[in-house]
Amino acid sequence: MEKYRVQNNIRKLRFYHGEMTQEALAEKAGVTRQTIIAIEGGKYAPSLELAFRIALAFGVPLEEVFSYTAEEESG
Amino acid sequence: MTYRETNISVSLASSLLVMGYYLINWLPMYQDEGLNSAVIFRLWVITIVATIILNILGNILTSIVLSIAHAIKTQSDVEPRFVEDERDKLIELKGSKAAYIAFSIGVFLSMLSFAFGQPPLLMFSLIIFFSIAAEITSDVLQLIYYRRGV
Repeated sequence: MEKYRVQNNIRKLRFYHGEMTQEALAEKAGVTRQTIIAIEGGKYAPSLELAFRIALAFGVPLEEVFSYTAEEESG
Repeated sequence: MTYRETNISVSLASSLLVMGYYLINWLPMYQDEGLNSAVIFRLWVITIVATIILNILGNILTSIVLSIAHAIKTQSDVEPRFVEDERDKLIELKGSKAAYIAFSIGVFLSMLSFAFGQPPLLMFSLIIFFSIAAEITSDVLQLIYYRRGV
């Protein structure tokens, strides 16, 4: 079975929103900056509610922030 | 290091300290003269009370030190927000689950020792040992989750 993982465009979206800081995004989403860092780095897949809150913070639909894509096979 | 990580590290340090104290006092007693109920009860009480006091003191000190560090860093007297979000809760939950499993295995092994004819004092000593070991397991696992991701 193919492996899927949650990927995100948070870094890109922060850049397009006037280089929004992780702290500012964390404040808007109601989480800690460390959680934003973990999500951005692909180390944590957020809950559906948090994913919506992050999308809301950027004012874009959820699928513009997160995608569920197949992992590339290595080797 | 975040507030939660600092708190867990302090808890880990205090658990290791208590574990060290317990083993240093318990092992010679077990090897040399056997387990004496009067002495072992005293050791259990000291161990349990020390665990509770160290954990409370650790939490208070961490909060104070981090608040001072925050005030120095931001040059303001606004209190820092030590928010606990869904990731913290998930990591805490996974840590608790690991502690529960470790403690269950420990209790089972302790009861096995009793089933094989060892004295009840040894069984209860092992249960106390495994309760501290479970706490350490939980703390270590939580720190790993914070570092490597959930």
